Amino acid sequence: MEDKKDGSKANIVMVTDGASIPDPREWRLINAWSIALLGAICTLCALCVIWPEPYLRILLYLPDGVLITFKITLMAICCAVPLGLITGLGRISRNRFINLLASTYVEVIRGIPLLVQIFYIYYALSRFVQVSGITSAVVAISFCYGAYMGEVFRAGISAIDKGQTEAARSLGFNRYQTMRLVILPQAMRTILPPVGNECIAMLKDTSLVSIMAVPDIMQRARSFVGTTYLYFETYTMVALLYLIITLLLSKAVSIMESRLNYYDAK
Amino acid sequence: MLRHFVFGLLSFVFLCAPAHAVEKYVAAADCYWPPMELTDSNKQPTGYSPDFLKALAKAVGIEIEVRNVAWDGIFGGVATGQYDIVSSSVTITEERKKQFDFSDPYFEVVQAVLLPAGKHINSLKDLKGMKVGGQIATTGIFVVRKADVGAELKEYDDVGLAIEDLLKGRIDAVICDDPVALYYVNKKADTAGKLNISFKTQEKEYYGFVVKKGRKDLLEKLNKGIRLLKESGEERKIAEKWLGN
Repeated sequence: MEDKKDGSKANIVMVTDGASIPDPREWRLINAWSIALLGAICTLCALCVIWPEPYLRILLYLPDGVLITFKITLMAICCAVPLGLITGLGRISRNRFINLLASTYVEVIRGIPLLVQIFYIYYALSRFVQVSGITSAVVAISFCYGAYMGEVFRAGISAIDKGQTEAARSLGFNRYQTMRLVILPQAMRTILPPVGNECIAMLKDTSLVSIMAVPDIMQRARSFVGTTYLYFETYTMVALLYLIITLLLSKAVSIMESRLNYYDAK
Repeated sequence: MLRHFVFGLLSFVFLCAPAHAVEKYVAAADCYWPPMELTDSNKQPTGYSPDFLKALAKAVGIEIEVRNVAWDGIFGGVATGQYDIVSSSVTITEERKKQFDFSDPYFEVVQAVLLPAGKHINSLKDLKGMKVGGQIATTGIFVVRKADVGAELKEYDDVGLAIEDLLKGRIDAVICDDPVALYYVNKKADTAGKLNISFKTQEKEYYGFVVKKGRKDLLEKLNKGIRLLKESGEERKIAEKWLGN
């Protein structure tokens, strides 16, 4: 696989450990992604066909959990990406106060484990406001990933050559227009893969919300295990399910990335 | 080479030596089920079951160490041999019997429904449309699910979290074993007076110690111990200590 990246594009930011995005320029049929996906799907089908009891039963028990997991992830992405953008802009802001505010937010949130944040928002904040399990899960995950994504946005924006800003400014764009019309559209291409990665990591982290009695995939599985004591079988299915979902998502991000890199590829 | 071999052999012998002393077993307890299992101020498991088990060990001349293990997955640990006994207020049920062996019953409970003070129900049917909380994979949850009364079940990691949400008004009721319900209603400082036990089920449940299938030797010791404690009246003393009258 040849690397067509030029110098400025080598700025890939990895903040947390999401699934790795398959390279859009990878053309071979057999690669890590296809092996993993095919392997996972085949294993899942084989297990369900050969031993419908208990594997098929487990698979049929989990779908409502998958829906909840998706729901939380989608809502959290909708909150975390704008939050990340604002944080990223705040981090490069020349206004001392905004800069400090954004940087402190990132420092504080990154220093607290997500599990603790989820507990904190659910139980500590409930002294003041009543929020449901799902809402507080979304709030906690958005806050956490907003900070991570803020760093991604910051790095992506600062990776754009300074000459672009200078050119736009000398053409009469004001600072806001420069950012919106010149810098951000270019930065998006660098930012998209790591943001996609963050979203996939987020989907995996939603399994933490099962501690708040939110019936996501993990909680459904634990509830199933609680009545049947089939630990190995149930968690095998859960692992395969998560794997298939994240592999499909990472491919989707990869396709988006290749579309955005259309001009680079030429 | 020879030196290594001798050294290895010696350390092997030393490591094995304690095994020939008193027979030692490890028991797992989920210490979020007061007053049956909880942790003391030194983070050590205490409560009715650990005390019972210690007295039992003394009576039959074995040694039992009680470890704090989370409820979720506690059965997996005994199946894979990480510990020998689950002593965590486990009700003897037919489903569980298929996977594990149980000792003779050592304690009797019923399921109790906790409601905020001042609210009442007369049967499980009245839970219809309510949000009912409980600890994940406990018999309380099973009872509500089996009754199929149209309640929304919320399964928490431990019963304390469910009680917390009941007090906050996020859920309408909590179901758990009656000694635990009583503890929260009477003994626990920050929940006493705010809750009431509104309903108890008729069917009695019995706690047993759980061991891996086929551990006949250990079961015999446990059963003998349970019998001895009942005969000697020591069981009553432990019950009085933890449950009052």
